[in-house]
Amino acid sequence: MTRLIDLRLGLFLAALFAVTVLAPLATTLPSTSALNLPSYLIPLMGKYLCYALLAVALDLCWGYAGILSLGHGAFFALGGYAMGMHLMREIGARGVYANPELPDFMVFLGWTELPWFWYGFDMFWFAAVMALAVPGLLAFVFGWFAFRSRVSGVYLSIITQALTFALLLAFFRNDMGFGGNNGLTDFRDVLGFSLSAPSTRIALFVLTAVALAGCMLLARAITISKAGKVLVAVRDAESRTRFLGYRVESYSVFVFTVSAMMAGLAGALYVPQVGIINPGEFAPANSIEIVVWVALGGRGTLVGAAIGALVVVALKSWLTATFPDLWLFALGGLFILVTLALPNGLLGLVDRLKPRKAKPATEVPA
Amino acid sequence: MPFRPLTLIAALCLAVVLPFLASAQTLDALIARLPDGNFNDRAAIVAQIAETGDPRAAQVLDALLEGELEQRTADGRFVRVTGSRNNQTAVDVLTGEDLGPVARRSTEAVRVNNALRRSIRTALGVLTLMDPDPARRLAAAEAALRSPSADQVDALAEAMAAETNANIRTAQTRAHAAAVLASDLPVEQKLDAVAVIGAANAQIVQQTLNAYRNAAEPELAAAVGEALAAAEARQRLWSQAQNLWFGLSLGSVLLLAAIGLAITFGVMGVINLAHGELVMLGAYTTYTVQQIIRTNAPEYFGYSLAIAIPLAFLLVGAVGVLIERGIVRHLYGRPLETLLGTWGVSLILQQAVRSIYGPTNREVGTPDWMSGAWQIGEMTLTGPRIAIVIFSLVVFFGLLLLMKYSAFGLQMRAVTQNRPMAANLGIRTGYVDALTFGLGAGIAGLAGVALSQIDNVSPNLGQGYIIDSFLVVVFGGVGNLWGTFAAALSLGVANKFLEPWAGAVLGKIVILVFIILFIQKRPRGLFPQRGRAAEG
Amino acid sequence: MTPGLIGAPLNVAQLYLDGVCRSFDGFKAINGLSLAVEKGELRAVIGPNGAGKTTMMDIITGKTRPDEGKVVWNGDTDLTRIDEAGVARLGIGRKFQKPTVFETHSVEDNIRLALKAPRGVFPVLFDRRSAEENRRVTEYLDRIRLTHLRAETAANLSHGQKQWLEIGMLLAQEPQLLLVDEPAAGMTDAETMETAELLKSIAGERTVIVVEHDMDFVRALNCRVTVLHQGSVLAEGSLDHVSAREDVIEVYLGR
Repeated sequence: MTRLIDLRLGLFLAALFAVTVLAPLATTLPSTSALNLPSYLIPLMGKYLCYALLAVALDLCWGYAGILSLGHGAFFALGGYAMGMHLMREIGARGVYANPELPDFMVFLGWTELPWFWYGFDMFWFAAVMALAVPGLLAFVFGWFAFRSRVSGVYLSIITQALTFALLLAFFRNDMGFGGNNGLTDFRDVLGFSLSAPSTRIALFVLTAVALAGCMLLARAITISKAGKVLVAVRDAESRTRFLGYRVESYSVFVFTVSAMMAGLAGALYVPQVGIINPGEFAPANSIEIVVWVALGGRGTLVGAAIGALVVVALKSWLTATFPDLWLFALGGLFILVTLALPNGLLGLVDRLKPRKAKPATEVPA
Repeated sequence: MPFRPLTLIAALCLAVVLPFLASAQTLDALIARLPDGNFNDRAAIVAQIAETGDPRAAQVLDALLEGELEQRTADGRFVRVTGSRNNQTAVDVLTGEDLGPVARRSTEAVRVNNALRRSIRTALGVLTLMDPDPARRLAAAEAALRSPSADQVDALAEAMAAETNANIRTAQTRAHAAAVLASDLPVEQKLDAVAVIGAANAQIVQQTLNAYRNAAEPELAAAVGEALAAAEARQRLWSQAQNLWFGLSLGSVLLLAAIGLAITFGVMGVINLAHGELVMLGAYTTYTVQQIIRTNAPEYFGYSLAIAIPLAFLLVGAVGVLIERGIVRHLYGRPLETLLGTWGVSLILQQAVRSIYGPTNREVGTPDWMSGAWQIGEMTLTGPRIAIVIFSLVVFFGLLLLMKYSAFGLQMRAVTQNRPMAANLGIRTGYVDALTFGLGAGIAGLAGVALSQIDNVSPNLGQGYIIDSFLVVVFGGVGNLWGTFAAALSLGVANKFLEPWAGAVLGKIVILVFIILFIQKRPRGLFPQRGRAAEG
Repeated sequence: MTPGLIGAPLNVAQLYLDGVCRSFDGFKAINGLSLAVEKGELRAVIGPNGAGKTTMMDIITGKTRPDEGKVVWNGDTDLTRIDEAGVARLGIGRKFQKPTVFETHSVEDNIRLALKAPRGVFPVLFDRRSAEENRRVTEYLDRIRLTHLRAETAANLSHGQKQWLEIGMLLAQEPQLLLVDEPAAGMTDAETMETAELLKSIAGERTVIVVEHDMDFVRALNCRVTVLHQGSVLAEGSLDHVSAREDVIEVYLGR
C-alpha cells in the first residue's frame, strides 16, 4: 500500500512548515539580531513558493501523464490576471483618475463603461473562483480538442506554446481591456488589508505555503490513486491502456485541467505578493523555464519539482543581481546538463547515491 | 579676405558697360540689373534670365527665390548669403567662389515679393525642365505634376517636344495635362488632359483630379468622376495583388525560416528549439562580413551578401554539427529531452551574441544593386523583398534536388526511414545524422542572411521566428518538404489578407488559433505522410 | 459513443466481418475480407507476411477504420464506429505481438489495472482497493504463474514472463473475445506448449482468435484454421485440410 505521505514528501512538508512558522517570527526580531529577516523578503519568499506550486502543477501533468505543456505559464498568468482584476477594482476611487468604477488605464484610454468581462471582479470570491475556473476551462476545452484528436508528444508541446504565444499577443493589445503592455498594477489592498502592511504580507506568505502543501498532497493523492496509475500507464504504453478499455483522452483532460487550475492558483497568489501582472508572463520562454525547474528537480516526483523551482529561482535571483550576463549561460547550461547528465533530476541523483532505495519513483522514458 | 584688384576692376567695368549691351543679354548683365527697378521690372528680368540658357541661371534664380541673393556693397558682386544672422557666409553665385564669412551690413539683399516669387518659380520650372541632367528633368516634371500651375503649360509643352527619354516624357505629358487642367484653356483640351491623367497610377489620378470633381463644366466634371472611379476600382484590384505580394514575401520568409526545421524536425524528428538562434547567427555573420568589408575594402560592399551566403551556410552548419555531436546525438528517441537540451543551446547562443555584439540592433546594409523599388501597375515591389522571394525559392528547390538526386540525400532518406537497415547496408548513420543536422542548421544560416535584409538584427531575432517556423512545419505535415512549402506560402498570404481586415496582431492571433484547431482536426498536417507505418 | 445498430440479427456468429476493405496508399491490406467466428470458438488465423492479419486485428479493435464493410459484434453492434476503449469495454481484449505491459508498474498493478471494473475517470480516481480485488488479482497471478513476482516491477520481467503477464491482463479483463497476436513469439518450446494449453482452456468459456506463424503451435491448438492471403480469406477448415490445399502450399512455399 502506497502511503499518502512518504519520507520525501514528509521531509519537504516539515521543512515547509518550519519555514512558514520561523520566517514570520524572524521578521519580528530586532534588526540588530543576526536572525532578523527584513520584512521585504517575505513577499519574495512567497513568490518563490508560488513558483514551486507552478512546478508541482506542471509535474503532475508532465511527470505523471507525459503531457509536456509548454504553455503552463499561460494558466499561471490567467489566474494572476483574475486576481489582478479584483485588486484593480479594490483600488476604487483611490486611483490617479479617482474613478470609483473604472481602473486608471481604462480612464486613460477614454473608456466610459466597464467591459462586461470585468463584472463581478469587485467581489473577492468571484475573482478567486475565476482564478481557478478560467485556466481550468481553457485547459479543459483545449485538452478536450487536443487529446480527443490524439495530439500528443511534441505536437502537443508545440500547440501549447502557440496557445500561450497567442495569449501573449492578445494581452498586449490595449483594446482587450486588460491594461495592455503595462498590465495591472498599483494595487492597494486585498479584502481591506493593505498589501504593503507586514501582517498582510505574512498572511499571504502563509496562505501560499498552505496552498503549496495542499496542492502537493492533492497531487500526491491523485498520483497514488488507481487513476494515477492509469496516467502512468498512458505515459508508458498508451495503446495498451486503450485496449484495456480506458479512455485515455478523459484521463489526460482530467489531469491537464487539474494541473492548469493549480497553475492558476499559483498565479492568483503570486500577483498580490509581487504587485503586478503583465502580458510578459505569457511569454513562451517563461513556460519553458518552468519545464527546467521540474526537470532539474526530477520529474514525476512532485517534491523534486518544488525543489527544482526553488533552486533555479534562487540561482536566478542571485545571478541576475551579481552577474547579469551569466544568467542565461547558467540557465542554458542547466538545461543541457539536466537533459544529458541528470535524466531523473536532483532527486534521481540522491536516489543513485543511496543505493538501498532500490526503486526510484519513476524510471522515465521519454 | 584677400583683396583682388583685378576682379574688382573687371566687375566695375562690367557694371558700367553691360547695361548698354541690352541686346547681348548675358546672365551677368541681367543679374546686374536686378537690384534696380520695381518688382515688375525684376519679373521681366527673371524671365529673361531663364531664357539665356546659361547653366548658372538656375542657381541664381534659386538664390533669389530663397531671398538669399545679395549684392556686396564693396564691390557689387552678387553673392548667395547663408547661415544665421551673426555667422553668415557668402558664395559668388556666378563663379561659385567661396567668399567665406561676411559681415552683416556689408551686403544688400535683392528683395522679392510674392508675385515675383511666383514668376521665379515658373522660370525655375522651365529651367529645370530643360536641365541637361535627366534625373533633374524627371524631378522637375514630377514636381510640376504635384503642384500644377497654368503658367507652365507652354514650358512643359516645349520640354515635351524636346524630350528624348520616354519615361521623362510620360512624366512631362502628365504634368502638362495637370497644368492644362489648372489653366483656363478650352474644355476640349481639358478633357484630353483628364484622359492623360486617368491613364496614370491611381495615386496620381486622385491627387490631380480630386480638385476638379466639381468643375464648372458639366462634361469635365463627369469625365473627372469617371476617371476617379476607374482609378479607385483599379486600386482596389491592385491592392489585392499587393496583398498577395506581401503575403508571398512573408511566406518566403517563413519558408526560409522553416525549411531548415523541416529537415531537422521533419526528417530527423529532432525538435531543435535553437533553430531560431541559428538563423540569428546567420544574420550576425552577414553583419560581421559587412563590417570587415566596410573597414577594409568598402568598394567591394556590393559583394558582401555573395560572401556572407556561403560563409553563413558553412559557419552555422558547423555550429549545427557541433550541437548534434555534443547534445542531440545522446538524445535520439527522446524528443522532449531534445527539446529541452536545444532550448538550453538557444539561451547560450543568445547570450553569447549579446555579450559579443551588444544587445542593441545592428545595422546591416543592403547593397545598391538590391535596393530600390519597382512599380508594377499600382503596386510597389522593393528590391530586398524580391531578392528574398527568389532566394527562398532557390534554396527550397536546391534542397529538393539535393534530397532527391544526391548520394547524400539518398543516404539521409535511408537513415530516416530505417536506421538499422541503413546501418547494415554500410551507411555511417552517425555521420549522416551530423551532416543532416548540419544541413538544416546551414539553411537556417542562409535564412539569417536573408532576414538581415528586412528585419532588425538583434540577439532576439530568432525568437520571433521559432514558433512560426514550427507551426509551418507542423501545419504542412511533418516530413514533407512540399507541405512546408505550401504551408509557408499559404500562411504568409492568409496573414497578409487578414491584416487589413483584423489588424496585424489580431490577424496573427487568428492564424495561431486556426492552426491550433487545424492540428487538432488533422494532427498530421496538410500533407500527411501516408502508409501503415504512419498510423502507428 | 453509442454502438451502431444493424438491422439483421446474426445470432450464429459472435464476430462477423462482412466485406471489409482497407487500403494504405493504394495498397490493399484488407480486400473484401469476410469471416465469422462463433461464440466460444478457438480460431487460428494464419497467413504469410503482409496477408493482413494485424490490420484485421486493428479493424476489429477499432484502431483502424475500414474503407468499406462492417464488423458485427453479437449480431447487433457495428464495431467500426467505436473507438479502442469502447471496443474493449464491449468485452474484446487484445494481446499485441510485441509484449506490451506497463513497465514502471508492478506486476500486481498491471493486473489490477486490467481487472474488469468501471473505467471512467472518477470511479477510478476514488477506487479503493478491496479484499475481493486482491483475491481476484491473486487468482490471475496464480493462473499465469507469476504470484512470486507480485511486487516486481514489470520492466524486470523476462520476455516470456511479459508475454504471460500480458495474457494475464487479458484474462483479468474478462473479455468475451480474446484477440491474440503471435503469443508464442520468443517463447521456449515448453512455454509455447503451455501457452497453447492455456488458450485451449480459455476457449469454450470465451472466444479466442489467435494469429500465428508457428505451425507447431497452430497444430497444438488443434482448432479451425483460417488462411489469409492478400487481405482476404484463401481457405478455411482444419489444419490438415487447409495444409493439403495446393493454393495454400503455393502461397506459403511459392515465395
